Amino acid sequence: MERRDFLKISAVAGATAALEGCGNPDHQLIRFIPEEDLIPGIATWKPSVCTLCPAGCGLLVRVMQGEAEVVRDGRLGLLKMGLAKKLEGNPAHPINQGKLCPRGQAGLQVTYHPDRLKGPLARVGPRGSGQFREVSWDDAIKQLTSQLADLQASNQEGGLALITSPLRGQKRAIFEVFANHFKKSLFVESAFLGDSVIRAANAASFGHALPPTVDLGQSNYVLSFGADFVGTWNSPVAQSIGFGEMRKGRPGQRAKFVQFEQRISHTGASADEWVPVQPGMEGMLALGLAHVIMTEKLRPAAAAGHAGSLIEGWSQGLPDYAPERIATQTGLQAETIARIAREAAAHEPAVAIIGDAATAHTNGYFSALAVNALSALLGSVGKPGGILFSSAPAAKESGVSVEILASQINSGAAAAKVLLLYNANPVFSAPAAWGVRAALDKIPFIASFGSFLDETSALADLILPDHSPLESWHDDAPPSGSARTVMSVAPPAMHPLHNTRSTPDVLLDVAHQVGGALGKALPWKAYDEAIQASFAALYKEKGTKTAKDADEFWTKAQEQGGWWSAEPNPAPVSTGGAPSAAAKATAPQFDGDANEYPFHFLPFASQLFYDGSLAHLPWMQEAPDPLSTVMWGAWVEINPKTARKLSVQQGDLVEVASPHGKLKAPALINPGIAPDALAMPVGQGHENFTRYATGCGANPISILSPLTVEGANSFAWAATRVKLSVVGRGKLILFGGSLTEASPELEHR
Amino acid sequence: MAHNWGMVIDLDRCTGCEACVVACHAENNISTVGQEQAARSRAKHWIRVERYYEGEFPDVKVKFQPVLCQQCDAAPCEPVCPTFASYHTSEGLNGQIYNRCIGTRYCANACPYNVRFFNFYNPVWDKPLNLQLNPDVSVRSVGVMEKCTFCVQRIKAGEIQAAAEKRELKDGEIKPACVQSCPTNAMVWGDLNDPESEASRLANSSRATKLLAEVGTRPKVTYLPRDSWHGTENA
Amino acid sequence: MSRPAFRLSHYFCVAITIGVAALGLAVLDKALSAQGTNAPPQETSGVFTPAHPTVYEALREFLGIRSKPVQPIAYTHKVHLGNGMQCTDCHVGVDQGPDARIPSVNFCMTCHQVIATNKPEIKKLAQYKARGEDIPWQRVYGFEPSAHVKFNHAPHIRAGVDCSVCHGDMRQQTVAERKVDHTMGFCINCHQQKNASVDCVTCHF
Repeated sequence: MERRDFLKISAVAGATAALEGCGNPDHQLIRFIPEEDLIPGIATWKPSVCTLCPAGCGLLVRVMQGEAEVVRDGRLGLLKMGLAKKLEGNPAHPINQGKLCPRGQAGLQVTYHPDRLKGPLARVGPRGSGQFREVSWDDAIKQLTSQLADLQASNQEGGLALITSPLRGQKRAIFEVFANHFKKSLFVESAFLGDSVIRAANAASFGHALPPTVDLGQSNYVLSFGADFVGTWNSPVAQSIGFGEMRKGRPGQRAKFVQFEQRISHTGASADEWVPVQPGMEGMLALGLAHVIMTEKLRPAAAAGHAGSLIEGWSQGLPDYAPERIATQTGLQAETIARIAREAAAHEPAVAIIGDAATAHTNGYFSALAVNALSALLGSVGKPGGILFSSAPAAKESGVSVEILASQINSGAAAAKVLLLYNANPVFSAPAAWGVRAALDKIPFIASFGSFLDETSALADLILPDHSPLESWHDDAPPSGSARTVMSVAPPAMHPLHNTRSTPDVLLDVAHQVGGALGKALPWKAYDEAIQASFAALYKEKGTKTAKDADEFWTKAQEQGGWWSAEPNPAPVSTGGAPSAAAKATAPQFDGDANEYPFHFLPFASQLFYDGSLAHLPWMQEAPDPLSTVMWGAWVEINPKTARKLSVQQGDLVEVASPHGKLKAPALINPGIAPDALAMPVGQGHENFTRYATGCGANPISILSPLTVEGANSFAWAATRVKLSVVGRGKLILFGGSLTEASPELEHR
Repeated sequence: MAHNWGMVIDLDRCTGCEACVVACHAENNISTVGQEQAARSRAKHWIRVERYYEGEFPDVKVKFQPVLCQQCDAAPCEPVCPTFASYHTSEGLNGQIYNRCIGTRYCANACPYNVRFFNFYNPVWDKPLNLQLNPDVSVRSVGVMEKCTFCVQRIKAGEIQAAAEKRELKDGEIKPACVQSCPTNAMVWGDLNDPESEASRLANSSRATKLLAEVGTRPKVTYLPRDSWHGTENA
Repeated sequence: MSRPAFRLSHYFCVAITIGVAALGLAVLDKALSAQGTNAPPQETSGVFTPAHPTVYEALREFLGIRSKPVQPIAYTHKVHLGNGMQCTDCHVGVDQGPDARIPSVNFCMTCHQVIATNKPEIKKLAQYKARGEDIPWQRVYGFEPSAHVKFNHAPHIRAGVDCSVCHGDMRQQTVAERKVDHTMGFCINCHQQKNASVDCVTCHF
């Protein structure tokens, strides 16, 4: 017989029978009628705004028809709908010009996350037990309304607390109305990687409480004091575009980039010259450079204007900061300081920036003033190739931090009755020493608007989950990243998958139900009405040349992802003006006796998890960390010589203990870290944050000492000292440079 | 003349940010393998950023190098495949035909760049993460090798579009996902058979080098190593 | 002489091996199908995870056996095309992209809320609409997932390939049936005749 026929028969004979399931509609889910008119296989691109970090990049979302399992009116079925398939940068957007960092791209997984909360929940078990039951939106809004109505009736001071991420645009306006309506509310904008030190310094030095817009693309010499500017600092995508230009975008011209820090950061890895500096000595170093420039008459002291006058001794040429006098303290050689200063002065435009750990020491504010003065001396403030300030409105500061909130509640000075929680996880991103968990336990009613259960939202009594960012309206005024004025706006890129509601809409609904003055203060029925109203005002102010009326202006803005000025129009910088009280350098303070705790502890922002808020995304857990290639875990970095001295091998489980706590993580040998420092990425160590992040790694924030940056009321998270001991064998998952096992002698892997 | 697709990566611009790594995962339906399988070196990063530390503290230098399938013109993975699943296409790509692949993994064995990845298990997406899948790209099943394709789906789409508009392809019109996402514009992709294309121009740069060129694979990815600061003169 | 005998015993051994293997895999099937929703995320069980849920389905796909689709409504192409409709009236998008769209019940009802409303099949149609459900049409043409084919309609339409070349003369069909077998040979023959690319990566990526 023919071989083929034989095989067919024998194969069929040996098989087991199976249910004839395919091709029969009776065995499938019902299909809902599509709400959108889409052609399958053809993509449309919709603008949106990325909200995963403060940069505010503009997105283009690739939307294609797909079939999603959804619940409608209690029935489970399939719905053909427009689904976001990929996030890319919006080429027209002035901040990111078509580019997008890895985190922004992973934002897609927020919408489709399997552990996303699908509808409102009310607590049933004891707080923190994780027991919730589903409730309807009507019930949830009724409950929140009644809590706020009671609070309003009681007229109690400090009864309302709000903890949100730093917000902008009409969303912030709506939260602010709530905060202002109740007497002496505690409105906290919480962010571990906040930029309040830099904004305070810029306000003092240059009259703008904004992060700087750094024109790297036209710079010739960049001095970065610890700022991870192509990774996580300020506006990383805009700065990366500028970095590329600075390197190879101008034929015949290539800038020099010098990075000063204690550990080679992701950005420091690309430096032309990487110079280690003692922790907390960044400001001193900046003034040392300034001293050389002034003493050698490369630039006059007066060139630094108001920013220079803020530093004690500036007009005398900073005699206390001669290289020989500061060499030991900063850890640099005097000749190095002098050489770099001369190079910077000789290659204008030269710019100096500061960030990350340098502004997280107790003297971080002074360091920022010092670096500002150096930039001003180099003559690049307000000029191409230097620091500019956008015309965006300065962020309003509530003045209340998580630390202050927790201490006031714990001490009894404040008695908050209701807490509104939005897009913040302070139980995770605050050190245990602040007692945030204990403070939250004292608040009788906690409502969370988050999309996920995490360490903080798990304590809520009522959860009213927001839409994911791709399902939401956006409006935003990015504070830095472009010299043009930018007002982003975007409608939702896709219909909601689950029974969620836009938080601003929920707040407006609640306000109207509470009624009275609160209802009157928020006249809009929906968030997009508020945005449209703000755009009508913007049209009158700036848009009359680009559209014939406010409606056309509004339509055009939504189509392109926002409105921006055609030309750069940075805010003018005042370098003149009367000198205010001069600041004096202070030595950095560290917590922990140097003998008992011999190491400086350096938490650093993770390129993948940022401040931990993105650890729940599988793409971020599996992407190898750029410098260490670690996946699905956390680690402690230790210098090779130190490791040999302490008999620590790569992969050993080490215990890192501060005066305020301890944690365990595997050790990673890193040649790029000072011998007296240990570093750890921020972002892992979630106890409760979806299936992907829970139980993964350890959280360095938990053991930090509660020190403050003087003069800026900000958390000094680089000021903790720790000790180290080996407690066993850990698990380090490296992607490495090859798929073969690394040999044990290869310490650098 | 037929296209011969190639890529140039300027390591003086590359900051190792890994935007390319995530863009590739998003575009090409690469599944996450999870912690246990990642520990067994089975994570499938079609493009990865290699980083090398040199020196001892404080004189330490770090270098980044994105590594992806080099689409070698003398690819060692092609002659060893028993089913011709790995073959050279008419436009210079090393094609990976999933339905021909029977999973001998000999191609990965032969590849000196370690850019080929095997699906040891059926890929899993915890619902509704499956909704993120790109309909333009196959979802590979268990037992199949996969690797960077230079985003062949984008190449096809671009060629079909140009044909529909009855015109030639423009240089820079097609960008693989990694090239498009790179914030520093370190990556350039184009037709090496077109002397006017930016990829050709940069591939002829005096800084041009290739990875493991001495092995004889004739890779089509050209690297421009990191430059150094030369004071006032230079480019 | 010895050759036929060898062939018979050879086939016998092959048959036994296949039968034993199939039974063994079938047993494994039962164990594997017990993986519930509480399985650890993105982790595999460490046990063999096949591309198909059962051996039976794997064999069917390998041999190209597909069940006949059961359509929820006895739609007839003959009647609609006979009344002067064009393929692209319903199958919108076939000249723009990869997929030929099947319209939703809303599209059908634009005519059928008044046309032929007394017919039983049209009543079924109206019931779907009343329930807020779309008609669950079952796929007639398509490639198996393991073929890893990415077919794109638009270039074919633009090249002037008539719908009937690949789908048969729909004017003769009532409920849509697979009249044309889309084997690889079917595609390659036409590609060779029309000088279209036969490079593997043209369709398989």
